[in-house]
Amino acid sequence: MTTLQTDPGMEFLAQRVDGDPAFGCIQCGTCAASCPLGAAMEYPPRQLILQARSGNLDKILSSPSLWMCVGCHTCSSRCPRGIELADDLWPALRDRAMQEGIQPPAELQETFQNIFKYGNSLGESARKRLDWAKELDVPLRDLSKEPTAVEVLWLVCDYPSYYPRNQVVTRDFARILTALGVRWGVLGNKEKAVGDCDRLFGEEGLFEMLVENNKKLFDKHQFEKIVTLDTHSYRALEHFYPRYGAEYPVEHYTTFLADRLDLLKPLLTKPVKATVTYHDNCCIGRRAGIFDQPRMLLEAIPGVKLVEMARNRENALCCGGGGGGMWLDGHIVEHGGQRLSDQRVRQAAEVGAEVLAVSCPLELSRFEDSTKVAGLENKLLVRDIIELLAESMDLGEKEK
Amino acid sequence: MTAHEKESKIGVYICHCGTNISSVIDVHALAEFAKGLPHVVLAREYKYMCSDPGQDLIKKDIAEHELDRVVVAACSPLLHEATFRKAAEMAGLNPFLVQMANIREQVAWVTDDSSGALQKAEAHVAAAVHRVNEHKPLERRSVAITPRVMIVGGGIAGIEAALTLAEADKEVILVEREPSIGGHMSMFDKTFPTLDCAACILTPKMTAVKDEPKIKLMTYSEVESVDGAVGKYKVRVRRKARYVNEDLCVGCMQCIDACVFRKPKFPNEYDQGLALRKPIYVPFPQAVPPVPVIDPKTCLQLTKGKCKQSCVEACGDRNAIELEQEDTVEQFEVGAIIVATGFKTFDPSVMPYYGYGVLPNVYTSLEIERLVNAAGPTGGKLTLHDGSVPKRVGIVHCVGSRDKNYHAYCSKVCCMYSLKLAHLVKEKTDAEIFNFYIDMRTSGKGFEEFYNRVQNEGVHFIRGKVGEIDSAPSNNGEPSNLMTVKVDDTLLGEIRNIEVDMVILAVALEPQPDVDQVRRMFGMSCSADGFFLEKHPKLAPVNTANDGVFLAGVCQGVKDIPDTVAQASAAAAKAMALIDRGYIELEPNTAEIDEEACSGCKICNNLCPYDAIEYDEEKEVSRVIPELCKGCGTCVAACPAQAITGVHFTNAQIFAEIEGALFDAAPAGV
Repeated sequence: MTTLQTDPGMEFLAQRVDGDPAFGCIQCGTCAASCPLGAAMEYPPRQLILQARSGNLDKILSSPSLWMCVGCHTCSSRCPRGIELADDLWPALRDRAMQEGIQPPAELQETFQNIFKYGNSLGESARKRLDWAKELDVPLRDLSKEPTAVEVLWLVCDYPSYYPRNQVVTRDFARILTALGVRWGVLGNKEKAVGDCDRLFGEEGLFEMLVENNKKLFDKHQFEKIVTLDTHSYRALEHFYPRYGAEYPVEHYTTFLADRLDLLKPLLTKPVKATVTYHDNCCIGRRAGIFDQPRMLLEAIPGVKLVEMARNRENALCCGGGGGGMWLDGHIVEHGGQRLSDQRVRQAAEVGAEVLAVSCPLELSRFEDSTKVAGLENKLLVRDIIELLAESMDLGEKEK
Repeated sequence: MTAHEKESKIGVYICHCGTNISSVIDVHALAEFAKGLPHVVLAREYKYMCSDPGQDLIKKDIAEHELDRVVVAACSPLLHEATFRKAAEMAGLNPFLVQMANIREQVAWVTDDSSGALQKAEAHVAAAVHRVNEHKPLERRSVAITPRVMIVGGGIAGIEAALTLAEADKEVILVEREPSIGGHMSMFDKTFPTLDCAACILTPKMTAVKDEPKIKLMTYSEVESVDGAVGKYKVRVRRKARYVNEDLCVGCMQCIDACVFRKPKFPNEYDQGLALRKPIYVPFPQAVPPVPVIDPKTCLQLTKGKCKQSCVEACGDRNAIELEQEDTVEQFEVGAIIVATGFKTFDPSVMPYYGYGVLPNVYTSLEIERLVNAAGPTGGKLTLHDGSVPKRVGIVHCVGSRDKNYHAYCSKVCCMYSLKLAHLVKEKTDAEIFNFYIDMRTSGKGFEEFYNRVQNEGVHFIRGKVGEIDSAPSNNGEPSNLMTVKVDDTLLGEIRNIEVDMVILAVALEPQPDVDQVRRMFGMSCSADGFFLEKHPKLAPVNTANDGVFLAGVCQGVKDIPDTVAQASAAAAKAMALIDRGYIELEPNTAEIDEEACSGCKICNNLCPYDAIEYDEEKEVSRVIPELCKGCGTCVAACPAQAITGVHFTNAQIFAEIEGALFDAAPAGV
């Protein structure tokens, strides 16, 4: 017989931070029916709670379902009882599983190791952090070499620093900041992963370590605010870092630029003739409610015709890359799930978009891969909002 | 420092309140403590002071020990002050020489710390003892009540209350915002669980309202302000320009036929926009009064100032069309008010995953009520947007209800109306019907039986709240009405995609958008769910915190028609009990102005929230009107000359109370 005091499942459900206690779950199944991968899960979200409170915590910890959440937050945002499945429950379950010695899927394990060893999820050398700036044609302030007070501490983040497709966007952003007269600096070789996803995968220990190191690093510098390119980093700094006493004013680039639209508009001179649809990513969209600013930026570009996909704003379909999903595609497909980015590019094509505009660095490669799978290559271009702005400002790089 | 000649004799009574108080506070020690307080001649503890034997204790002691003041340490004075005052009065003591110490709500219920609780209870008792010593006998006054009731809202609640009062020969003013009375009930085709025709049972009542000489019916009118207090409320009502004279119109409707708009062109609000109307219209055929109204936003004459005015021509000698009409404001004096302002239905377009407003065949339950109604836009024929008959219909329960993102409460009526709609849709279309529910809540007379009946009609019941509704993938580009309802069938443990061609969203009932304004106007509060707050959830469900203002219907909380009618009857009875007596006894704890000290600065006149201070131009002083004064103390605090006293809150009393609260009892045995 189990009791409320001794049952590990009930005890587990009682420890919540953001949402209401999971005891209030009425097993309505809104979460499971909203989960884009629920149908493929052995234990979709509703059943996690059901099993945990029925004393079957061990069953869910060892199920492949545990590693199929991509952190899209749809379940949490629709839960009629206000239970934070995505931010509270799921990462805590994964953390618990790892503490009990259950190994995550191999690809994810490797990512953890990369972050631990190299300070970035790609497993690249710290010395190459600034490789993106090699062909940069505007001055760069490397605060790790010449510490000085800046207006914006720009956290470039992992993918924008290292991944070739993203590096183009990164350089464009440097040019835009400079054109706007912003006094900005980067942390150069000292920059390390911020780690929102690490927390969402459930590697709470690793996340804590990153917070500690980053706090020490940030505190050495003088800046008015942090601006990030990565939406996951933004979300980590904005929502999770304060829990560990690391509070910094932080903005994602979309809100930062939208606030400066008056300055930006006169610079947007060259028309970008295209039918564009915007993909609301889960970190700044459903989670943080930033829906209007990305659209304001796109609408400010002459020539852009903005169209909406049927699922937009808080109802947008996830790209499947969050919550560790970037490194879980193999695991998810192996267990009967689909790559959500494949569905999403079709939705974009359905409304006649020529360009799928994104604001999260993980999405460029995810969606570009998916356009190939969906036979939309050359029909649907995937571009970061920054690239479209830079093109209209005539700062963009010529296609190689 | 007693204010009276002879030494007072105070009796203190400590209530255990069963174990509510005694389980936390050592009542025996508290009584012993009380015995040591100044002027206390006896202190007792008893299990239930409010019981008859408890009250007898007080009465007996007053007689035997010649007590002239009483302190009862028990629950909140809101609950039992009246009880103990009455007991004292019966024993020949002035009721205002009784003081209560609230050691239940303010001590026992808020802590588990026994020693701290005893200490705090002692402070409360000492404060009450010191205070009561300064009390003076006060006399209640009575004032006449205006024997007239205003009812705000002409739905079934307002109608029922109005007819009940009129039956008792009471004068009623019934104010309705819309052009016709009838409210939501008049929109329904059938009512659950008996499937009575709503119109058949409602329209006779609507007509009775119109024909009842005791009822002054004001439709297309809104309350603008409420002044005064119980017994004499002054209410201003704005009658919106209808552009048709109600006294001259005979309801022939020829003006509507004659309108230059040959065909109806504008969405009829009453039909949820599913049907069209002309600028001159009656919202529905059984409208009461059967008088058209002209919509100033669409009438050519009223918008452009240019029209043939064929309506005027059609009306002929009756001259009922008055295109120059303007709003008028009338003031009424009433003794009591019944607020029956109803509800609105939840707008599901804020839940984008249900597709309302995007997918054409997703409807709200209220829209379907109109579509299955014989008097509705389709004459009761239920079709999809393209005119075809639905084959598979999903009914989604709890849309906006039981959902912390919208309304945390259960809307109570949706399970039953969903069953009713399932039955009606099945009857009319023979469609396959799927009810998606979290819990079926069918507690009511004949409700469970009706649920069983609908089950036996072959309706599906799937336990799970719908996650999302999307248009189904089209077949070879053929346009299709099909939608996919995605649901976790929680009993099956399987996520299902169920194809339907019509979705009915069982939307929540929610407070009217202007509740806050209305609440302020009538001096009421709202509970956490946004509906108006009753005075006591169990024992005063139709009263409000404002005396003489009563509640009826859904404006107080979600309920079905039978409950609404019952509550409306109760509200009418309460209003009648008040006005039938002819007078009300006023609490004497009002403010008093010392005319000698008053400088006539009029600061108090303007501050008084009850308009209870008049100014004597001749003597150049202000004076309190006791019938209107509520004893709130605003003027007392504001008077720069300190000329105003709250007669039951004198400085001496308040200082004594503070002194008591800080009183340090001599150690026991000294």
